[in-house]
Amino acid sequence: MAGKGSIVCGFIAPHPPHLVYGENPPQNIPRSSGGWEVLRWAYDNCREKIKQLKPDVIIVHTPHWMTLVGHHVTRVPRLKGLSVDPIFPHLFRYNFDTAIDVELADAVYDEARAEGLIARKMTNPNFRLDYGTIVTSHMLNPGWDIPILSLSANNSPYYFSLGVGIEEMYKLGRATRRAIEKTGRRAVLAASNTLSHFHFDREPDPNLPEDMSKEHVFSHANYLWDMRVLRLMREGRMDELLQVLPEFIEKTGAEVKSGGLFWMLAAMGFPKVPARVHGYWSVIATGNAVVEWDLSAEANGAGANLHA
Amino acid sequence: MPEPRPQGRIVKGYIMPGMPHVMLPRESASRAELRNACHAAGAGVREARPDVLVIFSTQWVSVLGHLVQARANPTGLHVDENWYDIGNLPYDFRTDLELAHRTIELGTAAGLQVRPVDYEGFPVDTGTLVALSFLNPKNEIPVVCISCNIYSGRDEEMKLGKAAADAVRALGRRAVAIASSGLSGHYFTREITDDEDRIVSETDDALNRRLLDLIAAGKSAEAMDLVPEYAAKTGADMQFKSYYWLMGALGSDGAKGKVLGYGSIWGSGAAVIEFSA
Repeated sequence: MAGKGSIVCGFIAPHPPHLVYGENPPQNIPRSSGGWEVLRWAYDNCREKIKQLKPDVIIVHTPHWMTLVGHHVTRVPRLKGLSVDPIFPHLFRYNFDTAIDVELADAVYDEARAEGLIARKMTNPNFRLDYGTIVTSHMLNPGWDIPILSLSANNSPYYFSLGVGIEEMYKLGRATRRAIEKTGRRAVLAASNTLSHFHFDREPDPNLPEDMSKEHVFSHANYLWDMRVLRLMREGRMDELLQVLPEFIEKTGAEVKSGGLFWMLAAMGFPKVPARVHGYWSVIATGNAVVEWDLSAEANGAGANLHA
Repeated sequence: MPEPRPQGRIVKGYIMPGMPHVMLPRESASRAELRNACHAAGAGVREARPDVLVIFSTQWVSVLGHLVQARANPTGLHVDENWYDIGNLPYDFRTDLELAHRTIELGTAAGLQVRPVDYEGFPVDTGTLVALSFLNPKNEIPVVCISCNIYSGRDEEMKLGKAAADAVRALGRRAVAIASSGLSGHYFTREITDDEDRIVSETDDALNRRLLDLIAAGKSAEAMDLVPEYAAKTGADMQFKSYYWLMGALGSDGAKGKVLGYGSIWGSGAAVIEFSA
């Protein structure tokens, strides 16, 4: 690819399978009468934006590909199969078929190792993509006409400590950025995670998951926490956001702990441009927000200031 | 489905490692001991002539209660998300549907959230498939697969184990109960060669051995009492709650275990333990 690559946009792109279920795309077998519209409409905005930006690749960091030894990248040209959600099989049985950007996979692998990280290339063609990657990719680009690259979530924030995990993600973020630049890609990044993550321990009605009269946030305290971090994002207060995230994780069990947001912010150079919150709602009580950082030259002017 | 027998019961129990490395033909000394022990467990199952294998796997993690496989003939090709380079795990086994549904019924009656899953393509986990590769290599014996709930504790797992045992009795089955689980859960976070494999810390090794000694002495109540501390200190595989389930299934009194093998898999602890009910 010609020219120096860049990250044009980054999204917090949560992956509850309920969102795909509510939309009834042809790839998903179960049918619904809708549900979780606020989040699905939020994703509609992102789809439109991605079409305008014409990226070469969408890179997804997913918490549902948890790896014990290092950071793994999908490295086969095409992955195809049926993904049945192990937790919500009654609402997510999805036929996926996607191109993988293997050149970029190689570059991320090389740069990750250059950062001192342990990295692996996933080269088994029978590998079943995790539902985090699939839901996020679908919600951002349901036509699947843009190659993706899936990055695993290394277990370090759980195995060692959050601090160790964050350091790893900062390194992986820098590595990803360099890989994008060297390969000349126009890339969209997606941190596939919820915000507050406490959830119901029983589905209110397994026979009607989309009954929105039963959907609500887990607690007011969690809601306030979600609003607090979203406000910091919307106001571009990046330093304060980074400062508060560990406490946010501790108090709300936020899925952010798995690393995707830290990775994405590091890759984007910790942007102080205000983020755009497209929508927020709960899914089985967890807090979910679709959030965009637009780094495109069109949005920020050539040479926009990023704070590394 | 086999003819029901009047005296249904669980005739044997096993704890089996769930990591796929034990299936590899290459070996470290430790893995050779484990693999030989897995084969010995397979021989033990054949000798027991069960109608059904009831298997609880720590690698089938559920969040909303417990799940029970209720598909008559799960088939597919599983690739482990971490160890995809070891190879594919094709599967094609039969489920004892009557026993699966009775287990769900009795578990629900005991106050648990237990649900069936009957979907083409539902992912069968590595732990279940590793255990079955040794214990049911020709897929001749029907199986009931049970998930491990991430939040449940001793009480719930023992109730679920008892529900499975009651279902076995009610239907007159001759069953073997299997807990697919590792022991200590700390592992190497870097690449290692087979020859480097060992339990990552002396503390983990000592605690594994302490727990195994209690199990081998038939002190199951003491062993269960030790599990919370053991799990906290060793990062045990799903808090070693599979042991609660197995004791619930076997009846904890006098459930004396025979340790057929013990060793490391990528730094974590693993053992093959046989219980004669």
